[in-house]
Amino acid sequence: MDNKTFIYTGVIIALVIAVAAPYIASSNPDGLESAFFGIYGAKEIQGDEMNEEMAGNAEEEVVEATGNDYSFESPFPDYSIEGLLKTGESLAIVIGTLLVLAIAFGLGKVLARTE
Amino acid sequence: MHIPDAFIPINQAIIYWIIALIFIALSLRWARKELREEKVPLVAILAAGIFAIQAVNIPIPWGTSGHMMGAALAAIVLGSPFAAIFVLTLVLIVQGVIFGDGGLTVMGANIINMGVIGGFVGYYSYRGLMGILKNPYPAAFVAAWLSLFIAALITAVEMAIAGTFPLELGLISMGLYHAVIGIVEGGITAAALYLIFTARPDILPGKTGVSA
Repeated sequence: MDNKTFIYTGVIIALVIAVAAPYIASSNPDGLESAFFGIYGAKEIQGDEMNEEMAGNAEEEVVEATGNDYSFESPFPDYSIEGLLKTGESLAIVIGTLLVLAIAFGLGKVLARTE
Repeated sequence: MHIPDAFIPINQAIIYWIIALIFIALSLRWARKELREEKVPLVAILAAGIFAIQAVNIPIPWGTSGHMMGAALAAIVLGSPFAAIFVLTLVLIVQGVIFGDGGLTVMGANIINMGVIGGFVGYYSYRGLMGILKNPYPAAFVAAWLSLFIAALITAVEMAIAGTFPLELGLISMGLYHAVIGIVEGGITAAALYLIFTARPDILPGKTGVSA
């Protein structure tokens, strides 16, 4: 495969994953969140059921424990665009993918060793 | 495995940031000294692909999910753990700043866990396993599994230092979930490596990975 084909194929694969992600991704808590909710009693470590009220309490409890109450409004919180549901999530992840692509390419070009 | 702000006290988060900045500087030095210009598109594609695949949370048992980290893949393909730090740092900055995925005060810790630990464990276990297995795909599978598993255990230790998790229960639950998520990490890493290597046999420096 020549260089150009390889690059375009790579970009297309990344974009296909980005568009599909919201439709195929699980909304279950990730490993760290699940451990957190398990330890704070909102779910069993090996259980499926989440107690939403306990989960909310756990989030308040941990802020009190660490004292780190920093919060920040990101432009697209949780990979969502207001009012656009799943399409918005796809769009947000595509934007992120292109942004990472552009930054990595630009920074790489600036830093890379030229022969 | 993205730690949110609330999980680590600010003073500890600053220490993680300082350690992370040292490794970020080393990764920039890697880019200046080792990264050849013709490899830049590959770095960009890997970074974009890793960002996208990190959005795919795959369900595992126990009401939990997990996604690929990608550090082992970046380190193996680009031939350096510092390449993984370079790529994962960019991914984590965009995730944190634009999408609120992973805290900002604790981003140093996330860069250490996923970039530094993931990259070093992934790269050196791949090199070691290649010496034994002589086949890049099973070596990459195991190395990627280890990179995620060890990063998860380190995260549990950080949570214990932070006072957020008790040490033992943290290690058990993080270990349990990530032992399973590691299968996803290993599988996608080996598959991606196969695709890249099949499309472009010239890309992998030293097919065996031990001579390089």
